[in-house]
Amino acid sequence: MSEAAPHLVVRSVSKRYGPTTVLDHIDLTIRRGELVTLLGPSGCGKTTLLRAIAGLAQPDTGKVELAGRDITHVPPHKRNVGVVFQSYALFPHLTVAGNIAFGLKVRGAARREIDAAVERALSLVKLGHLAGRRISALSGGQQQRVALARAIAVEPDVLLFDEALSALDRKLREEMQVELRRLLQDVKATAIFVTHDQDEALTMSDRVAVMNKGRIEQLAEPRELYLRPASLFALNFVGLSTRIAGTVLAAGNGKVEVETKVGRLSALGNFQAGSPVIVAARPEQFRIGEQSEANTAAGRVRSVVFQGSRTLVEVDAGAGESLLAELSGRDGAIPVVHDEIRLSWPVTETFAFPMEMQA
Amino acid sequence: MARAAIIVCWVMAIGLALFLIAPLLVIAAASFSPTPVFDLPLTGASTRWYGRIGRLDGFWPSLLLSLQIALLSTAISLVSGTLAAIAIARGKLPGANIFATALVSPLMMPGLVLGIALLQGFRAVGFTAPWATLLVAHLVITLPYVARTMIAGLARFDFTLIEAARTLGCTYPGSVLRVMVPALAPSFLIAGIFSFLASFDNYPVSIFLADVRTKTLPIRMLQYIEEAPDPTLAALSTLILSGTVILLFVSDRVVGLHRMAGTSD
Ligand SMILES: Nc1ncnc2c1ncn2[C@@H]1O[C@H](COP(=O)(O)OP(=O)(O)OP(=O)(O)O)[C@@H](O)[C@H]1O
Ligand SMILES: [Mg+2]
Repeated sequence: MSEAAPHLVVRSVSKRYGPTTVLDHIDLTIRRGELVTLLGPSGCGKTTLLRAIAGLAQPDTGKVELAGRDITHVPPHKRNVGVVFQSYALFPHLTVAGNIAFGLKVRGAARREIDAAVERALSLVKLGHLAGRRISALSGGQQQRVALARAIAVEPDVLLFDEALSALDRKLREEMQVELRRLLQDVKATAIFVTHDQDEALTMSDRVAVMNKGRIEQLAEPRELYLRPASLFALNFVGLSTRIAGTVLAAGNGKVEVETKVGRLSALGNFQAGSPVIVAARPEQFRIGEQSEANTAAGRVRSVVFQGSRTLVEVDAGAGESLLAELSGRDGAIPVVHDEIRLSWPVTETFAFPMEMQA
Repeated sequence: MARAAIIVCWVMAIGLALFLIAPLLVIAAASFSPTPVFDLPLTGASTRWYGRIGRLDGFWPSLLLSLQIALLSTAISLVSGTLAAIAIARGKLPGANIFATALVSPLMMPGLVLGIALLQGFRAVGFTAPWATLLVAHLVITLPYVARTMIAGLARFDFTLIEAARTLGCTYPGSVLRVMVPALAPSFLIAGIFSFLASFDNYPVSIFLADVRTKTLPIRMLQYIEEAPDPTLAALSTLILSGTVILLFVSDRVVGLHRMAGTSD
């Protein structure tokens, strides 16, 4: 099968629990070998979507296809889907090796085959020396690796991770992100990774699906998601931004002129004159002083936060609006609090979003 | 001051332990008495009373009956009590708490009251076969032990384990057998032992339901003591005691006694 062929296809899957719609016509196509992250706030349906793919929850409508097979009505034990649970769900009565061998044993694999697979999985997660340990005698990070090894050992068609790293402390989590990504690429796994940590999503994935209230708002590569957010929700959820409310004065050619409390701004977007919009830009687009083809606004510096290679400057632009600029020392002096400054940012990096209920 | 308090506590603990164990030591000593009337100080040791146990009138049928009832009621309680505990711990059963309290309530009731109530109840519905009534009554005795232990065990059981097993290729029933049963093995063992012992040494309930030909061991033993109080009974008691100690010792090796006492996990 070619690299680009669809491997996991979720077609219009919906799920309700009582009156709440938890999944609202989800469409998702994942290529073989791809690592896709589901990113979204608590309760948006990430776990439920994973469970629908694993067969642990039955969708009300829609279809799930895996490796060219319709598995919508296939029970979990026949789906060949690997799951790493947030709590790891390791079997306490078995050793490390026993946990990893479990899936192969119930499939009736031969003894020699099982031993070889366990050894391979253990060395992949670098736990060869702990094969005989009891689960209760492992650290959190080691348990995480055992859970991963157990899921990989059966060579599933797709691996599902439900906040698999969230129980680890920050440093270990960051190490595991890098290691896990490399490991998944090594074994050419197709994987879905659930998280509500945006850094984790950007670090780990080939593509990120931003979920909100049971829908996928945007499915894009991390870079594109950051630079070209498709909705206000996606913009807010990933990274920092300046957001200013206004009304469209004139529109055309994919651009709009917006009247705001800090002056007239130009932005990319298609709206009719008179529409209420939010104009937004990423902090690193801002410069002190003027530049060509740019929006500008002035104000008084409210706070300056030094973050090593960059400095975050918040400017009070009056009328309750504020600007967030990320300045690197190279472009000139970093202002101090109470300075009056003028900031500019390119029109091509300014976006207009329909004003809706903010999430 | 603190030192004195600790010493008082220690004396208290040792004193209480002696107070609890002393009668057992006396009966063990009495079972080796060379004379029919137990007297201190001992003037030698004899094991002849142990040889007499088997020749006691009606001993074997009673032992068999007690073992049958205890094993059967324990087995039935383990299965039904566990299923009930799952419903309580897992299901969205309305009023699960009330249900749980009802299940363990016989534990809080005096055996005598329970015995009379069961006798009257069985009579009222015309259920009088002694063996069967004994079994049903002992289910009432053993079920609370199993339910209580299993509810506690299941509260600590992570049901995601079953889902993990299913995604690894196990059917649902297979997952229960391969994952839930072994993970709950300590609870099963504890529940089984307590249930067996509760049934095996029950007197107050059995006495109301036994008849001349259907007498459990405790009833038979009380009868012996009334008829001929010689050290044979002490020998039998010592055997039962040793059996219990061995059972507890082995299960302590397996799961730890502190878990049985329910003081920690
Ligand atoms: N078995 C269930 N019965 C009823 N409601 C449920 C059930 N499972 C999930 N829900 C509801 O569905 C919604 C989505 O739940 P889900 O677990 O998918 O969220 P999530 O995105 O994984 O959130 P989190 O980040 O907190 O894990 C929640 O409002 C939750 O209360
Ligand atoms: Mg979740």
